Amino acid sequence: MHCKDWEERLALHVGGDLPADESSAVERHLAVCSGCQVLWSGMKQSLELLQGAHAEPLPPASYTAVRGRVLAELAVGRRTWWRWAAALAALAALLLVWPERRVPPLPPVALAHPPRPPVYQPSHGRKGVAPGHKSKPAPRQPLLVRLVTDDPDIVIYWIAD
Amino acid sequence: MALAILAMAEAAESPQAQLGLIEAAKAGDLAAFETLMRQHERSVLVTAYRLLGSLPDAQDVSQEVFLKLYRNLGKVDASGNLAGWLYRVTANACHDVRRRKRPATPMEFAEDLRAVGPDPQQVSTEAERRRVLEMSLRMLPEKERAALVLRDLEGLSTEEVARALGSSEATVRSQISKARVKVRGFVEGYFRSR
Repeated sequence: MHCKDWEERLALHVGGDLPADESSAVERHLAVCSGCQVLWSGMKQSLELLQGAHAEPLPPASYTAVRGRVLAELAVGRRTWWRWAAALAALAALLLVWPERRVPPLPPVALAHPPRPPVYQPSHGRKGVAPGHKSKPAPRQPLLVRLVTDDPDIVIYWIAD
Repeated sequence: MALAILAMAEAAESPQAQLGLIEAAKAGDLAAFETLMRQHERSVLVTAYRLLGSLPDAQDVSQEVFLKLYRNLGKVDASGNLAGWLYRVTANACHDVRRRKRPATPMEFAEDLRAVGPDPQQVSTEAERRRVLEMSLRMLPEKERAALVLRDLEGLSTEEVARALGSSEATVRSQISKARVKVRGFVEGYFRSR
């Protein structure tokens, strides 16, 4: 049997990964095969070198950074959750205040567009617009929806861009 | 005093204490969750570092793993094996990172080669050992690397490695033996060429 045939078992034996019977067979072979002894000790030394290097600690700051990032993200998530909870509570409060019994007919909806501001057009001493010059469109005004309930004390405004 | 601190640390890592921390964290106690993180951050970050070969990537993976832990505290609680769960999630997250961005940037370990001790001889030896470790791991195929890191560097049993990597024990044994043979060849070649 060539040393190559023992390679896999030697590699497992180095890390103590062989069952007892196979392990003792490897040891018997090692006692008589100088080639496998070299292979085995080479694997053992390289493994020990790797384990020694692996045991060296990483800089503590690298752990602190990860911990800080995780805790910050969890805190943000929690704040968001509280914001949602507060919004839901406000909505629930609004629904409680809503005069449900007096609402059977739908409230009238009034749409109101505020008047557009006058657009400034420079004259430059001549009438009309210079070729190639496009006048800027007036800035869009937000849409204002006013919901009037039949309770004069409650008026709801909805403003949308 | 030192012994008392050691005993306290061990008590804090007992299964009951850990279960208590998980329960507290589930109830929203962030300090309890931070303690859990402190107990397991070394294994998560170092494993990710060995698997990816880049500290920033390993930190990103660690962050992802601990956020996942927070969201899955209930499942971990039921499985009763937090360390095993963390190794599995870390290995999976590293696999995803490697799939997304390959190949690994070479020589991003320059900062690790800096002097860390007063004895120049010791410094060069330590730096060289780190370099050999990183280069050996880098030349291994992903699965062999993962098996070697978990079995030989992190000290998990073959069964635990198989569970973490989602494969059979026979496959893990085969991967480990191949990896050990390759590492030996690399290490001997490295020192012979110097």
